[in-house]
Amino acid sequence: MNILEVRDLHVSVMHKPVLRGVDLVLHGGGIHAIMGPNGSGKSTLAHVLAGRDDAQVTAGTMLYQGMDVLAMTPEIRAGAGMFLAFQNPVEIPGVSNVRLLKEASNAHRRYLQLPEMDAMTFRSQLQDRARRLGLADDWLLRAVNVGFSGGEKKRNELLQMLVLEPHLAILDEIDSGLDIDALTTVAEGINSLRDAQRAMLLITHYPRLLDLVVPDKVHVLIGGRIVLTGGPELAGQLEARGYGWLAEEHS
Amino acid sequence: MNTAMNSHQAHFIAHAATLPGHDSALIHASRQAAMQRFMGMGFPTRKLERWKHTSTRVIAQTVYRHVNPGCVGLDPADLDPHLIARQGIHRLVFINGLFVNSLSDMSALPGGVQAGSLARVVNESPGVVAGCIETFPTGDDQGFSELNHALWPDGAFVHVSTGTRLTQPLHLLFITTASREPMITQPWNVLIFGSDTHALVVEHYVTLGHTTHHLTNPYTSLILDDRAHVHHLLLLGERLPANHVGTVQVTQKAGSHLGSHLFANGGERTRQEVHVTLAGAEAECALDGLFFASGRQHMDFQTSMHHACGHTRSRQLYKGILDEQSRGVFNGVIRVPPGVHHTQSRQTTANLLLSDTAEIDARPQLEIHSDAVQCSHGATVGSLDPDALFYLQSRGLDVNAARALLIHGFAEELLQRVAPAEVRGWVGRSLNPGEGVRDEDRPGIV
Repeated sequence: MNILEVRDLHVSVMHKPVLRGVDLVLHGGGIHAIMGPNGSGKSTLAHVLAGRDDAQVTAGTMLYQGMDVLAMTPEIRAGAGMFLAFQNPVEIPGVSNVRLLKEASNAHRRYLQLPEMDAMTFRSQLQDRARRLGLADDWLLRAVNVGFSGGEKKRNELLQMLVLEPHLAILDEIDSGLDIDALTTVAEGINSLRDAQRAMLLITHYPRLLDLVVPDKVHVLIGGRIVLTGGPELAGQLEARGYGWLAEEHS
Repeated sequence: MNTAMNSHQAHFIAHAATLPGHDSALIHASRQAAMQRFMGMGFPTRKLERWKHTSTRVIAQTVYRHVNPGCVGLDPADLDPHLIARQGIHRLVFINGLFVNSLSDMSALPGGVQAGSLARVVNESPGVVAGCIETFPTGDDQGFSELNHALWPDGAFVHVSTGTRLTQPLHLLFITTASREPMITQPWNVLIFGSDTHALVVEHYVTLGHTTHHLTNPYTSLILDDRAHVHHLLLLGERLPANHVGTVQVTQKAGSHLGSHLFANGGERTRQEVHVTLAGAEAECALDGLFFASGRQHMDFQTSMHHACGHTRSRQLYKGILDEQSRGVFNGVIRVPPGVHHTQSRQTTANLLLSDTAEIDARPQLEIHSDAVQCSHGATVGSLDPDALFYLQSRGLDVNAARALLIHGFAEELLQRVAPAEVRGWVGRSLNPGEGVRDEDRPGIV
């Protein structure tokens, strides 16, 4: 079964069409990249998949593991194994990372009708994962994203992904704001989750991430449509040539 | 003058000869003067600036029964839900404003600390409260405190002698029991901390059983001598029909430090005033407040920070969480008189409205008559951040859990300032801001 099947998706934000007929199919083990200029609809696609209610689906279908995504609330989507790494992760004062991760993990386990994990086991697994991402020991006690640098926020998103082990990860510019070392760490984290059961959608501006996490396919989104799909080599071509030539062809 | 006021006066006339301190000219004069002032001014009305948001009409028209010893049929186990689970806690229990020795536990009090019934202490040595009487606030908006000064039947007396460290919290538990007719309880609490002392005192109001409308009108005098270091927790957790109108009056001498932590979630109508006078150089005061109102609850908090001496510092943070049709008020005055220099004061109030029908009036009031000061203030009102709600939902939390976690996060800043951890956890559970406050998740415990 396909993990994600998007057919002729039309989405408006504030009554303005942003996505105008997107088709996208991801199989287990597949990693697809979506590239495109600013304002082409990349983040809207991510938001609509996660269930953000400011984007209205006006036509088309989205199926996740055969289920109608539009019939699922954001938390049900998360419980079912969909995950969005936010381009701009939200600060939540007064709520520690460990608290959020535990609530999220327990919500996920409830969805799967598994018992909650005991606190000690959860903590030790968490500390282990945090260390692998090079996060300081006090990290888990800090309030979610409060006072974090751009790069720290992105690593925090990745930590959440590693804890929740989603079947479909949508990573919206996970590479922005990262230096080379952090990018390598993040790429290792993404690759560690790569297996035949999971699919990932990488939204990015830069081919650098795609050198480290090599996708099966690269899609170019312009003006709310996928105008070109190619292999990983397409990312390099885009870096060399920009989007202008594609925009002209599809204007 | 109405029947209700007359009933207070009648009670005074009938009981003046038996109220605590009746043998003492000092106490008797203080009570008499207060009664006269009360009869002159009556209960405050909304025409008064500091009462404009809170109506006292119901209270002013109710004939209350004064003091009911009423611990008949009270099982010590009834207290359990309200006790702090920690070894070595010192505890004074008051039922309907009267000290109950059999429910109290002072067995572990260290030498140098006296704690018990104010009535008893005042009957033996009335002079110990003379300093507190001098600090009673005056003014035509002080009707409730005047009534307390006139009629207080008991209360807590705590005296920590110079140099003594009270390492365990002292829990002052005030319980109103079930009653069929409206009842008024008016403890006066006198807490005196000598030089170089350390203490944590928890002043805590609860209701047991189902009561009708009742009024709790406590007055607490706090005196911190030089370099005393005190944390005062005030927990207002009475049940819904309760009206609570309380006053805390603090006097701080040189180098003293007070952390005042107010937590309120109970009562139909709650009004709390906290007056602080920083009377010695390097005195420092932090006033914190967290209140959670829902239904038709009305909560009104008034602080006044009086920098009477140069080189003093104060900080205030009050946060309100208001749901349904509740109403909140925060009015904070910072006063620096002419000629007082090098003071620092900061006042912040932040409020979270959980419904469209909840309301908050938050107002800083600065009376700064000196140039050489640092003073800042800020007030915010907002609702739950939809971006944050979506973020949590996208992590699998349903809407209710996401809301609860955000509310908890909003409250956490103030809970974090409470130590030790057992007391912090206990306050969190008592207040239950947004439910599900689990101590194990708090920083510092992992």
